[in-house]
Amino acid sequence: MKLVFLGRFREIAAPHLSDMARPADVATLSDLQGWLAAREPGLAGALCGARSQIAINQEIVRDPGHPIGDNDEIAFLPPMSGG
Amino acid sequence: MQIRVTAEAFDPGAEIGGFIGGRRDAGALASFVGYCRDETHGRKVVELLIEHYPGFTEKEIARLARETARRQGTLDLMVVHRVGRVQPGEPIVLVAALHAHREQAFEAVRVLMDYLKTDTPLWKKETGPDGARWIEPTEHDQARRARAEENA
Repeated sequence: MKLVFLGRFREIAAPHLSDMARPADVATLSDLQGWLAAREPGLAGALCGARSQIAINQEIVRDPGHPIGDNDEIAFLPPMSGG
Repeated sequence: MQIRVTAEAFDPGAEIGGFIGGRRDAGALASFVGYCRDETHGRKVVELLIEHYPGFTEKEIARLARETARRQGTLDLMVVHRVGRVQPGEPIVLVAALHAHREQAFEAVRVLMDYLKTDTPLWKKETGPDGARWIEPTEHDQARRARAEENA
């Protein structure tokens, strides 16, 4: 799986996280959030922020039970600030 | 629909000039250009970094533009958004709308800009003399976005 960290999340996340094999105990989005929070304490608060969002294969996903596959691209998006 | 995300500086006048094309059904073209300022909230800005998520950013801008066009009955919409390192004085965003009538053209530009402020996958980082910081949508931006939704 591929993890993409945008904006300030990119500055917090360790580079080795971007391309990694899906851990055996990560089957859903909620598993992945828990897995990341346990290993990257700096990211834990950021990933659970009320205005942060997650995209899987470039679609916003809000269901924590959404399955995670080996070839999925999961992006962590801080609050957006365009315009 | 003309959506472009570019790392190069762009000329809003040239972009707008090509937008109307040869069409004869548009009675109004309204546009907005947002520029990088050298100061925000009393802090000096020497450079703005705009980060995007290639592919997703373009897709989401197109989705918001289609939604705006559907609601406002817009004939066509154009968005050019700068990414990468931007200097004060340079254009960041251009939004233009074609409509039969001016009221709806103005409204389409306003609504789409409100969406762009809060719903577009772009992240801004301001660098000033005291360091750099990431920018997040203000309460004001969120309130405008909520109002756009109510009026839909």
